[in-house]
Amino acid sequence: MAQKLSVKETLEATYQLLQKQQDPRCRELVDEWPELKKKYEKDLFEFTVRDRTIRLPLTVTSLSGTGIRKIALPQYKDWGDLLKWQLQENVPGKFPFTAGVFDLKREGEDPTRMFAGEGCPERTNKRFHYVSADAPAKRLSTAFDSVTLYGEDPGHRPDIYGKIGNSGVSIATVDDAKKLYSGFDLCDPATSVSMTINGPAPVLLAFFLNAAIDQQCEKYITAHQLWDKADAVRREKFENGRPPQYRNPLAPQGLPEGHNGLGLRLLGLSGRKVLDTEVYTAIRADALMKVRGTVQADILKEDQAQNTCIFSTEFALKLMGDVQEYFIQNKVRNFYSVSISGYHIAEAGANPVTQLAFTLANGFTYVEYYLSRGMHIDDFAPSLSFFFSNGMDPEYSVIGRVARRIWAKAIKNIYKGNERSQKLKYHIQTSGRSLHAQEIDFNDIRTTLQALYAIYDNCNSLHTNAYDEAITTPTEESVRRAMAIQLIINRELGTARSENFIQGSFVIEELTDLVEEAVLAEFDRINERGGVLGAMERMYQRNKIQEESLYYEMKKNDGSLPLIGVNTFLNKQGSPTLLPGEVIRSTEPEKEQQIANLNDFQKRNEAQSTRALLKLKDAAVAGDNLFEVLMDCVETCSLGQITHALYEVGGQYRRSM
Amino acid sequence: MEKNTLRMVTAASLFDGHDAAINIMRRILQSKGVEIIHLGHNRGVQEIVECAIEEDAHAIAITSYQGGHMEFFRYMKDLLDEAGCGHIKIFGGGGGTILPQEIEALHAYGIAKIYSPDDGRKLGLEGMIEDLVRIACSEVSVAAFNNAPENWKGAPPLGEKKEIRSIARTITLAEAEISENRQAPVSHADAKVPVVGITGTGGAGKSSVTDELVRRFLNGYPEKTIAVISVDPSRKKTGGALLGDRIRMNAIAHPRAYMRSMATRDDHVALSRSIQKALDVCKAAAFDLIILESAGVGQSDASIVDYVDVSMYVMTPEYGAASQLEKINMLDYADLVCINKFDKAGAADALMEVRKQYKRNHQLWTANDEDLPVTGTIAAKFNDPGVNTLFLQMIRMLNKKCKAAFDETVSFRDTAPMERSIIPGKRIRYLSDISESVRNYNRYVKEQADIATKLYQLNGVIKMYE
Repeated sequence: MAQKLSVKETLEATYQLLQKQQDPRCRELVDEWPELKKKYEKDLFEFTVRDRTIRLPLTVTSLSGTGIRKIALPQYKDWGDLLKWQLQENVPGKFPFTAGVFDLKREGEDPTRMFAGEGCPERTNKRFHYVSADAPAKRLSTAFDSVTLYGEDPGHRPDIYGKIGNSGVSIATVDDAKKLYSGFDLCDPATSVSMTINGPAPVLLAFFLNAAIDQQCEKYITAHQLWDKADAVRREKFENGRPPQYRNPLAPQGLPEGHNGLGLRLLGLSGRKVLDTEVYTAIRADALMKVRGTVQADILKEDQAQNTCIFSTEFALKLMGDVQEYFIQNKVRNFYSVSISGYHIAEAGANPVTQLAFTLANGFTYVEYYLSRGMHIDDFAPSLSFFFSNGMDPEYSVIGRVARRIWAKAIKNIYKGNERSQKLKYHIQTSGRSLHAQEIDFNDIRTTLQALYAIYDNCNSLHTNAYDEAITTPTEESVRRAMAIQLIINRELGTARSENFIQGSFVIEELTDLVEEAVLAEFDRINERGGVLGAMERMYQRNKIQEESLYYEMKKNDGSLPLIGVNTFLNKQGSPTLLPGEVIRSTEPEKEQQIANLNDFQKRNEAQSTRALLKLKDAAVAGDNLFEVLMDCVETCSLGQITHALYEVGGQYRRSM
Repeated sequence: MEKNTLRMVTAASLFDGHDAAINIMRRILQSKGVEIIHLGHNRGVQEIVECAIEEDAHAIAITSYQGGHMEFFRYMKDLLDEAGCGHIKIFGGGGGTILPQEIEALHAYGIAKIYSPDDGRKLGLEGMIEDLVRIACSEVSVAAFNNAPENWKGAPPLGEKKEIRSIARTITLAEAEISENRQAPVSHADAKVPVVGITGTGGAGKSSVTDELVRRFLNGYPEKTIAVISVDPSRKKTGGALLGDRIRMNAIAHPRAYMRSMATRDDHVALSRSIQKALDVCKAAAFDLIILESAGVGQSDASIVDYVDVSMYVMTPEYGAASQLEKINMLDYADLVCINKFDKAGAADALMEVRKQYKRNHQLWTANDEDLPVTGTIAAKFNDPGVNTLFLQMIRMLNKKCKAAFDETVSFRDTAPMERSIIPGKRIRYLSDISESVRNYNRYVKEQADIATKLYQLNGVIKMYE
């Protein structure tokens, strides 16, 4: 008995010694585990958002009567396993957010976000109403034509003319933006707008915010029966010209289905000109706090992969910083000021590890730059969002997991950011490069699998490509099928009821660790080249992307990378490349309308725009916040006018090779 | 002119960032012995046509993936025809974005050839380029090129101040060493035109510095004209060359600016024999200033000095130990020294050391540092004050050495103030900080998990004793 006791004593002494080496936080995690487990075994999950207690069901029942848990927890008993799981995985919504940044998915809001943009604003507006018709949440994603992407105005010069409204919508003025998003309440919490624009992003953002503000002014004017006054202001302003109108040359019968007319009654006017300053200022402040969405504005990846830079890199970054400061000052908290994008890096040929590493490195570069401008991490980190591509490679199954985990660890441990700042949120678009012009019917299968990767990985937003995207601009029919992919996964596929379906898989855990370390190794390589900007100067990122692209092409050509219907499993005709019978292009009347509208706009604002542009340039020279000036400038100046004024004070992008 | 070297302009179309394909094509063209003047992405028709005429190119090759190709290619053909330069062949490609019936229409319009994905599959990349070279070199094409001057009547094309077509062709003939006595383009052959020579090591940013100087010249002197001759080496093995200076140039597409890119051809020296002739042509054309830019070959090359009135040496702070400076011949000869990329580590030391070396070389023991023509610049930065200083030094030197009488009171446009570096120096290792921190965290997790496992096991055993 004595011997037994002494063994027990020895054991206890060892135990206590060991416990001293244990981080008290880790001990808590182990101690709190049973409680956490109990919380997830209940039927309802309770949490608080902005002082409101919300209860969400934790299970769903299958047709067979099986209760499917949204969040299933590990059955581990060993404290080491439990601790490791909590420190590296954890439940969704808890550091390091590997499995997701929210406790549970928002109910009634699928992550679906479909990209649209073609022709004149009215035509794209109609498409927006079509794609969002059945969804309670209006999640619009805007593609701009290349004229707009490069910050220019539409015009008759043939090399410009041919590109107006092709592969995206033509937007040159604030009125274009008002038409584009008309019929959607931009300050409704269920509306969110994403804009794929980079070089001239601050200008387009100012268009958008003004459109949102003026919508709220419209509502105020209606509520206070002030339309007589507004009409008088309009009559005076348009004494000698026609006021701008919503007119779709392709559907002259009027507004598209589901369009309630909101956003069109102040075309050509700013609410500022109708309402008292005090009222207007209050409406504006309120609108800025409410708008929801994202602007891409990621200038670093443009230089590395996509080439739509227009300003010198320093000036482009300064503009981004100005936007961010403006967001902080005006409490624009539901709109992401940048979408740090790996998608274009992947489309240019990078493999998933490189995509992730370059993108996160770019993200941390913005963090360092904003900090150096004196902003606080918790003021801006929540405004950053990410955008990745999902292709077929195995690493895509964990791209969100690794991104969230690295971001959370760095923001917490290095930048001392709070929990909100630690949460990385991202949009996925399935890979366009993985779609082929042969056997295009097979493309939906690829997209489905990629969408499944994304949904299992708890992406916050998802775009699925249309199968005909490899050969043409998608049609309403092909876009409908692409949306069905997401709906089928979200609504029909039983396993998608689970919100941590891939957690606990040996392969997933191992891949997560491997990809994480591969990304860190790439950080070190970029660091050796002077950080992201230093590496860009040597064109390191560009060259690496090119090399990886060539490797893929080589494997595709020699057949060692099997592609069904492309280099293997060909049909009797040899699976020829399909050519579209017809390509959707913008029509002559649309282009002419855009040019005529622009000319009218510039003419009626001639005097004011000269003054506004001078003010903008002066502000630039004085080192003021340019976004604040831009917000006013867009009332009277077109995109091209602003771009050229900014070239004079900020410099044009210099290409390199 | 059968043995004439083929010269081509390559670019991606306006508002089009897809430059991967054109980069592959131009590399293959270079390997086939073509001299490539590469403009990169997002180039409008007017600037491409202006470039092709100034460079006296035989052909233009464009990729267009962003739509609007019908208008783009037709407009290019129209502008070339209007300029009397219909002999410049247009080639293009845009994968599946250009439909077969559109290709037919473009061919009917006079576009030499648009390559389709099917051509690519049938001919392969190399085969496609060989086909292109065959068309560009055909007897008909060469004859059209040779007879082009017959079409050059009336005012200079594209609103240019100078008759850029004849200037370009005269240089071509000089380069081909054809001694046909053609009339000089303009009859100011006696005019004294000052020449600035810019040389320096590869990667020092010569073309950016040149572009920034050109921009200031055009802004500062609204009546004056400028010619830039830029020399790059030919590849010995293939005879081809990448003449890449224009890609960085934003200021050069201007009615008062002429630029010619030249390859060293078979001379194995930094400057080809035809350089003097090219300079003479530009002098005869009475430009107000000529800039000769050359890569130079190694530290010992100072041959540019023989061709120019004022010489500038462009270097970076990254030259190694101070003793390396003793080996740079140009520090003996240069009238102006520009230390570019002045935002790099060690820039201040470099400025001090180069000044010291300059003093030694020129026996200027008592000179003030500020009076020495050694300047730190960041040409990559818009409106860099260092480049402003450099520009004024150049103008003063031109006035002093050549009696050029340029206005020295030129003021510079005010521009947005920008930080010298985006990431503060002390944070430059941010990415490794992050990788280290994440790895530390992972190590911590492993250690703590091991401890927790042991505690769990001990706890289990202790429980068994109860």
